Amino acid sequence: MATVDKINEEIDLEVKNFSFRYAGSETNSLKNVSLPIAKNKVTALIGPSGCGKTTLLRSLNRIHDLYHGNKYFGEIKFEGHNILDENEDLIHLRTRIGMIFQKPTAFPMSIYDNVAYGLKLQGVRDHKILDGKVAEALKGGALYDEVKNRLHDDADSLSGGQQQRLCIARAIAVEPEILLFDEPTSALDPISTIAIESLIKSLKDKVTIVIVTHNMQQAQRISDYTAFMYLGELIEFGKTSKIFSNPDEDLTKQYISGKFG
Amino acid sequence: MTSSTKRKIINKFVLSLSTIFAIIGVAFLFWILFVLLKNGFSALSVNMFVEDGAPPGTEGGGLRHAIVGQLILAVGATVLGVPIGILAGTFVREYGKKSQFADLIRDLSDIMMSAPSIVIGTFVYALLVAPTGGFSGYAGITALAIMMIPIILRTTDDMLGLVPNSLREAAIALGAPKYKMILDVVYLGARVGILTGILLGIARVAGETAPLLFTSFNSNFFETDLAEPIASLTVTMFNYATSPYEDWQSLGWGAALILAGFVLGLNILGRIWLSFHHITRKKILKKRKR
Repeated sequence: MATVDKINEEIDLEVKNFSFRYAGSETNSLKNVSLPIAKNKVTALIGPSGCGKTTLLRSLNRIHDLYHGNKYFGEIKFEGHNILDENEDLIHLRTRIGMIFQKPTAFPMSIYDNVAYGLKLQGVRDHKILDGKVAEALKGGALYDEVKNRLHDDADSLSGGQQQRLCIARAIAVEPEILLFDEPTSALDPISTIAIESLIKSLKDKVTIVIVTHNMQQAQRISDYTAFMYLGELIEFGKTSKIFSNPDEDLTKQYISGKFG
Repeated sequence: MTSSTKRKIINKFVLSLSTIFAIIGVAFLFWILFVLLKNGFSALSVNMFVEDGAPPGTEGGGLRHAIVGQLILAVGATVLGVPIGILAGTFVREYGKKSQFADLIRDLSDIMMSAPSIVIGTFVYALLVAPTGGFSGYAGITALAIMMIPIILRTTDDMLGLVPNSLREAAIALGAPKYKMILDVVYLGARVGILTGILLGIARVAGETAPLLFTSFNSNFFETDLAEPIASLTVTMFNYATSPYEDWQSLGWGAALILAGFVLGLNILGRIWLSFHHITRKKILKKRKR
C-alpha cells in the first residue's frame, strides 16, 4: 500500500481511488491512485518510463477523451465536483486546467495570434483588451522582452526554448487555476531549461502546478511535493524534501538512489 | 578480374542504361511539346480568342466559345467538388479515423481515382442527361466534380495526417471545441498541402474529354447557360482535329496549345506556391541562426 503523507495545505485537486485503462487494453494502466494536489504549490510526478505519470497528468484535464475508448474509474475532485463525470463540461474544464507539452506546440501562426488564441476562443474580440492580455501573458511567460518588437512574426521563427515559453504564455493567458506540465524541458537545452524552471517557480503564486519529470534533480529544484509512481501505482507521496532525503518506502529509496529506472 | 572492377563495370553498364531510358522518356515529352508548340503557335491568332466557332467551309472562326465554356466547366466543377472533397477528407481523417467506414471511403475513392473517365461520363449521362432529355453544362460540371472529389479527398486526408497530434492536443488543451481545433489549427497546418491538392485536382479534370462527351457534349456557339450543351476545349479539340477541314485542324492545334498552357500554368502555380512557402521558411531559419 502506498504511503501518502497528510499535507497541511489547501487542496486544489483531489485524486481518489483513480484507475485508468487505455482503449483496447486488458489491464489498467493506473491502479487505484489517490493523492492530493496542493493549491499554489508545485507537485512533481516522478518514476521510471511507463509508470503512468504522464497518463495520470493527462487525466487531470481529460485530454485522453480526444481518443475513443479510454476509460476512467474513481474520482478526481476539482472545485467541489468530480471531473470524471460524464456530464463534465470539458471545454470549461480545460480553460481552468491548462497544459504544457513535452515538445513545444506553437501553432502555425504569429506569436501574437498564438497567445491570443485561447482568449479568442473565450469570445474576447476587443483588440485593446487582447493587446493588453497578450502582453501580460508574454511577460508572465518571461518572453515579452525578446519578442515585443516582432509580435506578428511567425511563431516558428522562435527557438525551441522560446517556443516552450510561448506555449506557457499561451496557457496562462486564459488565467487557468492549474497548469499541467508534461516533461516541459526534456526537449530543451540547459539554458532554456533553467529559464523554464525559474518561470515555473515564479508562476506558483498564481497557479497550481503539476509537473511530470524524468529528471530527479529538476523535481528537487522546483517542486514542493513529489509523488513517486511505479508500474501504474502510486508508491509514495509527500514533501519533496522528505521524499528525496528520507522516504518511507524501499522502492522510493532505490529509485532516488538510481538503483533502477 | 577482381570483384571490385566487376562491380564497377556492372555499375557503369546499368547506370548508362538507366540514363539512356530516362533520356528516351524525356525526349518523347519534349517531342510532344515541340510539335504542339510549333503547330499551336502557327495556329494562334487574335481571332481565336474573340471569335466563336464558324460553320465548316466558311473562313475564320475562333475558340472563344470553347475557352469560356472550359473555364465555366472548370470553375463549376471546382465550386462543386472542392468543398465536398475537403469535407469528406476531413471526416475521414478527423472523425472516421481508423473505423471501417472511413477505410471504406478511402478504398472507394482510390478506386474512383483509377476509374475510366468515360465510365463516369456514362454514369452522369444516365443520371442527369437521359432523364432531363438533353446534354447540359450542369451534367458536365457534375462529371468533372465526380472525378475531382476523390483526388481532393485523398490529398486532404493525407495532408491532415501530416499535422502532428501534438498540435491537436494543444488546441484541445486550451479549451477549443473539436470543430474549432480543425478550423483554426489543423487546416492552418495543412493549408499548403490542401491547396496543392486542389490545384492538382483542377489540372487533372481540365484535360478530360471522355466524361464531357456524354454530358456537356459540345456546342459551336457561345453559351453561358448551364442548362444547355456547352463547348469545352477538349471536346472541341477532338472534333476539330478529326475533321477534314484544314482551318478546323489548325484551330484544334490552337485549342491543344491553350489547354496545355492552362494545365501547365496551374501546375507551375502550384509549385511556385509550394516553393514560395519553402523560401519564407528558409528565410525564417536564416533569421534564427543570426
